[in-house]
Amino acid sequence: MSTKGTHIPDWLAVPFAGITPAPSQNKGQDLFPTGNWRAIRPVYRDKMPPCNNACGTNEKIQGYLDLVKRGKYLDAYALVKEDMPFPSVTGRVCYHPCEQACNRGQYDEAISIRAVERFLGDLGQALPRDVVKAGPPNGKKVAVVGSGPAGHSAAYQLARLGYAVTILEKSPKAGGLNRGGIPDWVLPQDVLDREIERLVELGITIKTSTEVGKDVTWDQLKKNYDACVLAVGLTEPNSVRAEGEDKKGVHYGLPFLRDIGMGTSDVKLGPRVAVIGGGNTAIDCAREALRQGAEEVTLITVETAAEEMPCVPEDLHDMLAEGVDLKHGWAMTAALGNGKVEALQLHPARFSGAINASPIAVDREAPAERFAVDNVIIAVGQHASLKWLPEEFKNERGTIAIDRFGRLGDTKFFAAGDIVQLGSGQPLMVVNAVGDGKRVAFNLDKVLRGEPLQERMVSIDVITDLARMNMTYFPKFPRVQQEMLAPASRRRTQDEVIRAFSEEQAMEEANRCFSCGTCNACDNCYLVCPEPCIVRSVRSNGLYKILVDYCKGCRVCIEECPTGCLEGVPELDFDTGVVRMDTAFAITQGLHGRQAEELRRLPEKAPKDIENWR
Amino acid sequence: MATATVKKRRVRINGCVAAAQVAKYADVDVIAAYPIRPYTATMMALAQMVANGELDAEYIVADSEHSQLSIAHGASSSGARVFTGSSGVGVQFAYELYSPISGTRMPVQMMIADRTLDPPGDFGSEHTDALSTRDMGWLMGWSCDAQEAFDNHLLGFRIGEDHRVLLPQMVCQDGFFVSHVTTDVELPDPGQVKEFLPPYRHPYPLDPRRPVSHGPQIMPEQGPPLQLERARAMEGAVPVIEQAHEEFARIFGRRYDPWIEEFMTDDAEVVFFIQGAHAVTARYAIRHMRERGAKVGLVRLKTIRPYPTDRVKDALSKFKVVGVMETNMGLGSVSSGGVLYAEVCAALYESPKRPLVFSFMAGMGGEAIVLKEFYWMTQKMLDAQKRGAIEKRTHWVGFEE
Repeated sequence: MSTKGTHIPDWLAVPFAGITPAPSQNKGQDLFPTGNWRAIRPVYRDKMPPCNNACGTNEKIQGYLDLVKRGKYLDAYALVKEDMPFPSVTGRVCYHPCEQACNRGQYDEAISIRAVERFLGDLGQALPRDVVKAGPPNGKKVAVVGSGPAGHSAAYQLARLGYAVTILEKSPKAGGLNRGGIPDWVLPQDVLDREIERLVELGITIKTSTEVGKDVTWDQLKKNYDACVLAVGLTEPNSVRAEGEDKKGVHYGLPFLRDIGMGTSDVKLGPRVAVIGGGNTAIDCAREALRQGAEEVTLITVETAAEEMPCVPEDLHDMLAEGVDLKHGWAMTAALGNGKVEALQLHPARFSGAINASPIAVDREAPAERFAVDNVIIAVGQHASLKWLPEEFKNERGTIAIDRFGRLGDTKFFAAGDIVQLGSGQPLMVVNAVGDGKRVAFNLDKVLRGEPLQERMVSIDVITDLARMNMTYFPKFPRVQQEMLAPASRRRTQDEVIRAFSEEQAMEEANRCFSCGTCNACDNCYLVCPEPCIVRSVRSNGLYKILVDYCKGCRVCIEECPTGCLEGVPELDFDTGVVRMDTAFAITQGLHGRQAEELRRLPEKAPKDIENWR
Repeated sequence: MATATVKKRRVRINGCVAAAQVAKYADVDVIAAYPIRPYTATMMALAQMVANGELDAEYIVADSEHSQLSIAHGASSSGARVFTGSSGVGVQFAYELYSPISGTRMPVQMMIADRTLDPPGDFGSEHTDALSTRDMGWLMGWSCDAQEAFDNHLLGFRIGEDHRVLLPQMVCQDGFFVSHVTTDVELPDPGQVKEFLPPYRHPYPLDPRRPVSHGPQIMPEQGPPLQLERARAMEGAVPVIEQAHEEFARIFGRRYDPWIEEFMTDDAEVVFFIQGAHAVTARYAIRHMRERGAKVGLVRLKTIRPYPTDRVKDALSKFKVVGVMETNMGLGSVSSGGVLYAEVCAALYESPKRPLVFSFMAGMGGEAIVLKEFYWMTQKMLDAQKRGAIEKRTHWVGFEE
């Protein structure tokens, strides 16, 4: 009997024929920790989706699209509200850098992110009470000067952090550029009003018709508040330095829009209107001019082609659809006419540098063109009005000098938005100002709490390569288009041009999202694992667990991860959950660990001389 | 059970049908079939029984023997009593499954009607097909006629399914000599079978309500304990086999020695060592030679796995010469003949009285071993006895002077 006298040590005891509970049950995997076969370990590692990265305030776009997919609209709204106080506004006005960055754009068409954001924003508007609540009061008071995008954002975040916030607004109505710079047919006033109401609901005090330097002094700000955020924006229109700019019938872009927005405009436009400028404000002015009664509107730009214009392409497209003409390569050098502008003198011009922010070279030797108009609207940018600001905080660009945390020296003053970003290279767009306001609010909070400030983090792993995802899982599917008012019926009305998504459309569009690089709980790994060593307790994002004692590293889950969230990481990079062949050094659960323990004790038991070694 | 109430039946059937009859008596749950001569007749008989409603079983026709044994393995894992079978190259094609089936301790029963391996295509009986799997953890033995085949199949279920054993069984019979020769067979009363063979229950079947893993991947150091357990099961089968044969004799009235049959060995000096159907002709030849004064006998190996080493040693030590009848191929083996020679010699090695041992390659390719050849072989053994030494380890019968 060869098996007579044999015994199996406790630490090697195996059940009958190796039959064990299923690996997914009752510690079934403890017994046979085959994880030591693994050279590559699957790891859930969320990347930065390009949309989130491109967004001026880093909205968690992939996150809320995923929630919309699942019909969790309120959760999606709460998520967008973390970074964006007014999705109803940006859902209408944003230049959506997210959509330009969207990986789906390389595949078929980018996701209509802005339209989904608007769907969520409008949902939030309809709520009797907002989901966002003010933080527990911390007893500190902060003044926010200006109620435009940056000020609104800073005030909102500070209120959430528990500050008693007072907004000081120069105009009779709060809203800043949101109200004064964006026409009604893009952003209806009542939508903005509702967002301002939300600020009041958060406990924020809004003092309108209160101008810093006039109604409130610098010293009062310093004395009456623990800190202050300056978000006064760029209020003064730039001149084109042409002769006769003071003639009647010459208007400036932002005040033109602002007065209409505030309801204080007395502008009566003639049938022929020229708009000077190639940016978004110029386009808004041209389209507004049509709605204010103009018959023929011409946009005159220094840019020599439409593609060079620094504007949102679809706004340009919509403007042309409404019947505005383009005239490229000209600069206005004079407003001609007797007291009232009757014509423009135009000279050929181009930018002297490679970018269209560089100085303009006007060819005055060339024959001038006379361009007959009844009105001209000059929309070539804005600058700041900072008479109230102590000299030490002004810089050579004519804006507020700040450090990289948005702080004015070592004071408790911070600044955000266009007033600091003009000429910085950051686009002067609503969403960028919102991001600025958010970051400054957090920095201010850190300063008041005496915590060290941290550099703005830059994502190092933005997933932009489709090869890192598994495109097999994504059939091509066209973008859901937002309905629009017919161009012919847009003139003479302040009705919104772009229509909202229905619930079905929002969900259909959100469904197109790849969830680039991010776990969206699709269950694919869970289903494809040939061994049951991927488990999930709750079906929710990122809640899968890989049983590393058992996973053999076959890589099927990695290859089959649609979003590219799962990565293969060399096992040697780990020092936890390791099951290695050299069992003497393995510290793990189950039988393997017991054996390791036994083997570790061997040297202690070993006799000194070899003769007694058994 | 009183004999008066027992309804036995005496029928004339061949070995194939005898095996099929046992599957019916045992009320098997799953039959995994794939045709190959000569065992096909068993599956034909079973197909008829299922079609006629005599037997309620899943009858699965596979696409090859590999699938066939895989089906048998899977069905057994789910707790079914499984019957399958094959011949010749079919046995070989399923080779991968033999260790997994015994390793997971699935008492699948496999009927083998021996057939010569290719090439060339030869339907005759040679034991190499089954013998090549002899170390895969299956209980294995040969029957020499249809009645014994019936009894061995019944015993196989009882022994293999015993929870102390839980091993698959290969119940072998020579192709044609047993499988296709019709003889009288006594079929038992179903009540007797019920008494002898309890319903089968694997302790840990695959069941979705109680999930378990069969044959999981293990750590290298976990291999040895599992192999040791399988070795223990094989050795542990010895008392179970003996006990089962006792029970069999009590219930059915036929008593077999489970390990070896001795025929006319009382004063024998030279003996044939044989397994399988040629024992039938050997008995006749031995009686014939005994009448002429030759002290010749027969030792028939009934169970080769587990191998009855001590019984072989004790039995053969009594004689002067042992002639091992190899009806199998052991090319380049110890004797350069078959594989049984080494098994016999190894058993005798520890004996203080070792007989001379050599082997005969006889009945190869399914040839009958005729009386003349038994005379010739007996003469070779007597010569060796006289000489006190063997001439050579292997004789090719019919090809030598």
